[in-house]
Amino acid sequence: MDRAQFQNLYDDFRLGRIDRRTFLKASGLGMAAAIIAACTPGSSAAPSAAPSAAAGGEPTSADWSPPKGVDLGKTLYITTWPNYHNPRTIEIFTELTGVKVELNPLGSNEEMLAKLLIGGTGWDVLVPTNYTFETYGSKGLLEQLDTAKLPNLDLSRYDQKLLANSEYPKGSGHHYGFNKDWGTTGFTYNKKHVTKPMTSWKDFFDLAQTDYSGKVTIHDYQLTSIGNALVYYGYSFNSVDAAELAKAEELLIKVKPHLFAITSDYQPPMRAEDAWVAMTWTNDGAQLHADIPDIEYVIGSDGGEIWSDFYAVVAGTEHREAAYAFLDFMAVPKVQAFDASFHKAPLVDSAGIALQSDEVRGNKITYPDAAQLSKLEFGTAELLTNEARAEVWARFKSA
Amino acid sequence: MTRTGTGRWRSTFATVLLLLPSATWYALLLLVPLVILFVFSFGGRAPEGGYLPDFTFANYRELPTRSTAFINALWMATGGTILCLLVGFPLAYYLATRAGAGRTLLLVLVIVPFWTSFLIRTYAWLTILGNNGIPAWLDALGFGHVVLLNTPFAVLLGIVYNYLPLMVFPLYVSLERLDKRLLEASKDLGAGRWATFRQVTLPLCSAGLLSGVILVFIPIMGEYIIPALLGGGKVFFIGNALVDLFLQSRNWPFGSAAAIVLILVILAAVTVYLRVGSRGGQTREISLL
Amino acid sequence: MTVPAAAPQRAAIDRAGSWVDRGFRLQAAVLYLFLYVPIGLVVLFSFNAGDRTGELRGLSLRWYQRALEDPFAMGALQNSLIVGAWTALIATTFGTLAALALQRTSRSVRAVFDAITYVAIIIPGIVIGIATLIFFVNAFGWLNPQLAAVWSAAGLGAPPTIGTGLHTIIAAHALFTMAIVSVLVRARLAGMDRSLTEASFDLFASPFRTFVQVTLPQLRPAIITGALLAFTFSFDDYVIASFVAGPGKPTLPMYVFSSIRRGITPEINAIASMVLTVTVTMLIVVGLIYRRSSRITAAQRAAEGADAEVTAP
Repeated sequence: MDRAQFQNLYDDFRLGRIDRRTFLKASGLGMAAAIIAACTPGSSAAPSAAPSAAAGGEPTSADWSPPKGVDLGKTLYITTWPNYHNPRTIEIFTELTGVKVELNPLGSNEEMLAKLLIGGTGWDVLVPTNYTFETYGSKGLLEQLDTAKLPNLDLSRYDQKLLANSEYPKGSGHHYGFNKDWGTTGFTYNKKHVTKPMTSWKDFFDLAQTDYSGKVTIHDYQLTSIGNALVYYGYSFNSVDAAELAKAEELLIKVKPHLFAITSDYQPPMRAEDAWVAMTWTNDGAQLHADIPDIEYVIGSDGGEIWSDFYAVVAGTEHREAAYAFLDFMAVPKVQAFDASFHKAPLVDSAGIALQSDEVRGNKITYPDAAQLSKLEFGTAELLTNEARAEVWARFKSA
Repeated sequence: MTRTGTGRWRSTFATVLLLLPSATWYALLLLVPLVILFVFSFGGRAPEGGYLPDFTFANYRELPTRSTAFINALWMATGGTILCLLVGFPLAYYLATRAGAGRTLLLVLVIVPFWTSFLIRTYAWLTILGNNGIPAWLDALGFGHVVLLNTPFAVLLGIVYNYLPLMVFPLYVSLERLDKRLLEASKDLGAGRWATFRQVTLPLCSAGLLSGVILVFIPIMGEYIIPALLGGGKVFFIGNALVDLFLQSRNWPFGSAAAIVLILVILAAVTVYLRVGSRGGQTREISLL
Repeated sequence: MTVPAAAPQRAAIDRAGSWVDRGFRLQAAVLYLFLYVPIGLVVLFSFNAGDRTGELRGLSLRWYQRALEDPFAMGALQNSLIVGAWTALIATTFGTLAALALQRTSRSVRAVFDAITYVAIIIPGIVIGIATLIFFVNAFGWLNPQLAAVWSAAGLGAPPTIGTGLHTIIAAHALFTMAIVSVLVRARLAGMDRSLTEASFDLFASPFRTFVQVTLPQLRPAIITGALLAFTFSFDDYVIASFVAGPGKPTLPMYVFSSIRRGITPEINAIASMVLTVTVTMLIVVGLIYRRSSRITAAQRAAEGADAEVTAP
């Protein structure tokens, strides 16, 4: 559906002509639950040959080899998110190809876009989030995937709804990326210190101002922080309505003095127990819980975000061959499973999921129950460039 | 020594040659970028961010929305400068007048911390001010739970920590040049320590004072890393606002306007300082260092 | 000719003096503690046997080993050294030249240059960083096709492409530091004793020789200070470098900052401690050499002084 249709639906919902359920169903946002059900292990969509023990372990040259007769060059620059790649995966790639890989972690998609717009970045591979493809596509910042160079990529194994985000223009079948993983935006809390029940964004923002004042962090990221403040009031995560944004801004400003920090680097304070509650992404939540079992991850019962990150090739990159080699390497299910053993975000490629151990697939943080996802929304493309939300965020930061 | 016609021409040629490298550098890497900023500040914001050729004053009219960030920076810059002065002057005075033979070493010791990365030093403060650092001790001593990190206090501390050497150095240079005989004379004439200080020392080191204040105040106005690291996103300087405008909201025209105004304000402040400072009677050139 | 104050009054002042003295020493001690505790922590955690900065779990040298073997860290360190050295060189040379030239120019030219120098010094790092980056990208975007056209017209094969890299960092750093050097040198020139230069001319020395043998030695402290400041600033700068650096060649501060994002390990502390040790050692060596040479000159002067006393009437 295009933006106009979506807007009509959304207006209907807001004006009460249709109820939330219908809206979610019609807009496809509620499909999130269905998708995830398909992606979640144990469903019928998964391939039948699923060994119970992990067919994991380190990928070797038997699993993947670089394309023959292609000069891959010496270096590759990957711009990505923090704590998102198994260092060993990168090392193995270097061992197999001789290409030195440089990981460049950034803080937000906005920052990624800003640097790409300025130009001259020298980046080769990008890990953009689902809602950015519209903008990247229209500005010609990404290269359409050359599937001839990606023999290990089988798009049919990927959930089509998640994959569709990388299509530009919509419905054209031209893909500009393939999924690395997906996840949700929820929050973590340290149950050693947090005794009151916290299940929703209402709890999150309310308790931040009272019991856990000075111990809570939110993302330094307008999409999720404003989004979840909107959810607090029962509005859509993606709202750009002026009145709703004003209320969200009001809430955020009210909460600000009670925050420990506004940061997307919340792992250090959570680990040091400087913070007890943090707005968190799935993969960080899983990592924290694995190291510190007292830290629990919660998907807000009143809503939130579901997202997917992709691998993409930057347009006009100098190291195109190496970029495609890397993408092909990461398309191998065994490599995905191995990578995921570190970053702990759920995978999209059904073959990759099949290779993960029962323990991993049973991890409720990584692979939550479909029921928890029913209220979550994908971020919409316009949020990346929407001036109103950017201004709200800037005003909030300056307040 | 007189100069003939060709001699004068050659002399001018030599002057131009000496000046050319710096002049070209400044032109290319300072003036041109500033002109670009200036042009951008009158432009519009492209829908996905960036610059759209246009001519409007809207960006300058919008500037008051960032006034809080600006005032935060001003506040901290002033406070930080005063603190650096209060803390740094006694040290500089001690080194210049009393420390004797060891003073070069001690002076160097002030600047040695500069040779660890500024980021690492600031990060070390995160540990000290974090939950397992000083607050833990304060808790043990019975002061209850004190939050030190991500507060204006932490940012101020970081500022003083990082800019203290820049205050101590010019003060030291200026105090060191002080003719000790003047102090002796003052003492011999029966003036107490405080009187001597007020009427002899202070006026004579005004150049150093001025330099120190300027060297500390100006960079703090443009600072963004210390508030980002030690302020946890809760302390927002105009520097942070600029970074946000260019790297997050990608509103280049607005960012350019803010940047230009910031530069003008700092320029004005410096001019005022220098005028006021050299009002003290000395007509010699005040050097920045 | 002094007028001595009454003895008891003087003694009182001196006695109060020793208390004040102690106060000063205490204050200095506290200040040095304040300055060095974080440094101490950095060094301490570099020996951490555990995995994170902030939790000491025994002592070990493994992070030093890791640091020395880490090609990215060592590469970043090397880049910082290269950038710092070039910045210091360019800034010192051009800044000194400019200072000398400004002595000989008219008042208006001096005023213009003063203004430009001030702007260069006061402009916040992020403003000049962003502005310079935009300039570079556009300039290179224009330049590279021209180069390509020229190269293909001349049939020289693959044309060079200019992008951001260490050279752009050096260019940006040199701007600010050049201004500082010129200010330092000008201040020194202003306070310099003209009679020596005049004497040199009176003795028919050429301008060049005068410069080398009379002016330059007197400027040496300012030039050396300038070079040191330029290097220090460049080595420690994160803001400007983060904007104008090229891909794949980060400076040390850039590497440290991205480590903070990646999860800071004691490896960074190890690197910082190593840099610190090297600089402190260098300082000690320089200090010792200086002390030795000044002792020698002092001894020489004492000897000459003794002779002079003998020969003076």
